[in-house]
Amino acid sequence: MPSSYRGGAGRVLALAGLSGLVAVTGVAFYGLIGFSGQVADPGTLQDPYFYGILGFSLKQAALSAGLSVLLGYPVARALYYLPGLWFRRTFLTLCLLCFVLPTLVLITGLVLLLGHSGRLAPLLGADWNLYGLKGILLAHVFLNLPFVVRALYLQLLHIPDTAWRLALQLGLPALTRWRLVEWPMVRGRLLVLGGFVFVLCFNSFAVVLALGGGPQATTLELAVYQALKYDFNLPEALTLAWVQFAIAGTLFVLLGRLGGSSWLVLEQGGDRVPVPGRWSRLGHGGVYLLCALFLLLPLLVLLPALADIPASLRLAPLLQALLNSFLLALACVIPATLLAWLLLWPQRLAQLQQRPRRRQLLEWLSTHTLAAPAMVLSVGWYVFVLPRLDLAQWGPVLVVLLNLVLTLPFALQQLRPRLLQFDAQYAPLCAGLKLAWPERLALEWRWLGGSLRAAFALVLLLAMGDVAVFALFGNEAWTTLPWLIYRYAATYRMQEAALASLLLLVVCGVLVWLLEQGRDGGA
Amino acid sequence: MNNAPALLNLAVLSLFAVLAAPLPAAELTVYTYDSFVSEWGPGPQLEKAFETQCACDLRFVGVEDGVSILNRLRIEGEQTRADVILGIDDGLLVETRATGLIAAHEVPLDGLSKTLDWQDADFLPVDYGYFAFVYDSSRIKAPVTSLKALVASDAKVIYEDPRTSTPGQGLMLWMKAVYGDQATAAWKQLAQHTVTVTKGWWEAYSMFLEGGADYVLSYSTSPAYHVVTESKDQYRAALFSEGHVAQVELAARLKTSQQPALAQQFLAFLVSPEAQAVIPVTNWMLPVIDAVTLPPVFSQLIEPARIGFTPEAVAGSRQDWIAEWRSAAVKD
Repeated sequence: MPSSYRGGAGRVLALAGLSGLVAVTGVAFYGLIGFSGQVADPGTLQDPYFYGILGFSLKQAALSAGLSVLLGYPVARALYYLPGLWFRRTFLTLCLLCFVLPTLVLITGLVLLLGHSGRLAPLLGADWNLYGLKGILLAHVFLNLPFVVRALYLQLLHIPDTAWRLALQLGLPALTRWRLVEWPMVRGRLLVLGGFVFVLCFNSFAVVLALGGGPQATTLELAVYQALKYDFNLPEALTLAWVQFAIAGTLFVLLGRLGGSSWLVLEQGGDRVPVPGRWSRLGHGGVYLLCALFLLLPLLVLLPALADIPASLRLAPLLQALLNSFLLALACVIPATLLAWLLLWPQRLAQLQQRPRRRQLLEWLSTHTLAAPAMVLSVGWYVFVLPRLDLAQWGPVLVVLLNLVLTLPFALQQLRPRLLQFDAQYAPLCAGLKLAWPERLALEWRWLGGSLRAAFALVLLLAMGDVAVFALFGNEAWTTLPWLIYRYAATYRMQEAALASLLLLVVCGVLVWLLEQGRDGGA
Repeated sequence: MNNAPALLNLAVLSLFAVLAAPLPAAELTVYTYDSFVSEWGPGPQLEKAFETQCACDLRFVGVEDGVSILNRLRIEGEQTRADVILGIDDGLLVETRATGLIAAHEVPLDGLSKTLDWQDADFLPVDYGYFAFVYDSSRIKAPVTSLKALVASDAKVIYEDPRTSTPGQGLMLWMKAVYGDQATAAWKQLAQHTVTVTKGWWEAYSMFLEGGADYVLSYSTSPAYHVVTESKDQYRAALFSEGHVAQVELAARLKTSQQPALAQQFLAFLVSPEAQAVIPVTNWMLPVIDAVTLPPVFSQLIEPARIGFTPEAVAGSRQDWIAEWRSAAVKD
């Protein structure tokens, strides 16, 4: 056992961080329960309407996750088997951008492209209707497929060269190669990714509401929102939130068990990838092209807004809002990345000590905010804080805190596989060399490289796109760019809103591009 | 380096200026919705005008929307910092009164427009508008002339969710007022040619402006915005023969206020000709008094008959009507 992992201060800090994280969720639920005096309202569960909502939430999440994984796998293969693809790095950057794209921007793009009088509407026939399950799935796949592509591509890169060399020497046919070399590598990851996308879509809100097309498309998260906001029925909201938390949380437990083994990958390959034949090259190329088209079109269709800049547009408030968003996101991303690294410490120790149960528990606790309904976290804090603190003063702190908690799971997810890999590969060496933890840290820092930048980019962009938390805790003195877009739109200034969306998109794009500079392998 | 003494002097001088300044004026805190205080909303102009006559500091606190004002009051209870709330609509009047925090406004109502017929002693109307379906007259030459005709047509319609938006709730009341017990069948019929139901007003309205539908549920005053700000006159509100449901936006003062007289003065100011001339061209609603000079386009807006329910009737049936909508407004 490497002594540097047992480093007392680090573990104490990590446990303090974890307790703090759990306390944030605890305070939110306490806020709601304390105010309403009730933990739940069992009557809610007897309403047939509830089961309709639950059924639809599960159905659309399952379909979205299934499609994202099924369609993402061939694209990841194309990227892996054709290393010479044009604009491959740009494409991987685009994938990250799509995953963090503010839904507001995506929905505008989809409507301009596929709506009633969208650019592609003439090709789709008279019966086409974007709204409904089709629209929800399109948007969910757009947001999540790129994420699946990146993660699977990374996974494929980890197929050891030795495996390919051996397969070639044995002269295995393509199908057997796939079954023996490739499939065991991606199988676990496919399930984990599918489960992850399922949870994201299960908790989806803005997309479902904008593209659902009517009351038939109602998710639990929307029902929580409605109960909290319009009916101010806190016991009902709590009941729905418990159900949502229980389902998403259980899924996480299952995924934690399934996903464990696929991280124990030692070697990184990439030089001995078999060269595909002509037909399969064409196939891979086609898949890649189609995916790029699917991701680019809803973004490119926003560009014509530039040709129509209204005279009333003033640049100063736009830039000020952009700066505010950036500073808030920056205040969130630094502690979030550090906290993620810190929280992984005891998980890695548990992995090294071969205590999977303990690792799974720690893992679940550190990412539980992904399963908890975001609406309950922010409204619970709002109820808790309002009588105690002056929001005008504490608003920015609370916006940063809640965004930190909500984006932390994404940072963890980026760093975890890479650090577990580090341990599997170097822990014995570190122990043998008797490295103290500062020295190990320096090694880890260099090893993390791209994953650290990816975690940073992901959290930064997710925090920059936040509207829900700002809506409760923000005020006009430090308006953020996404909030400004809402505000433009709420006062008939649709062109300004379109331009501001475009600005947000471009800035997000530039940030992702900058953070991806000089990274290896593009994962 | 020569600047150092000058900077020091400046610092000393400004310190004196701060010390010599009069005691801070009385502060009046007003909770309202965010777009009311945005730079294009009525907030900044009203603040300037009121502060010149009250020797006070008017402080707007913007929250997300009208319902959020009520929720914030519910959470803060007696500890609320608000002296006045502004922007609750008549659909939430009963629930707001039920908080027990509202004091009588004591503003004479006889100056208000007769069309409103407003009698409430606690809540004072600030502006109002009729819900209406807006269309592009360059594309639709013969618009529908009744709600029944719209429901029976195959025109593409976008409206807002009655669970999450005020106009959506307005349409729900409108359907109940026109169809009564037959509303279930009417919702079903409307659902067959509904493009989508959105969370809020602007999602619906921007989809409509992008060409997403023939009719969008909005306000009778929406065309005025396009004429005054964009010089576009093709957007019109369809006048329906059954009459239209109105939304009245309200202000009230709070029992807990430490500045009751100032709060009352502000409420009276809100219905003065000075404030009422600002609100229509910034909040795009109608003034609640008659003697206001407005841009010519306001006289071309439709002037529908008003139908609907009392706030008490709405509060009593809202849950049932929403349950009816969510099971009926489903596409086959």
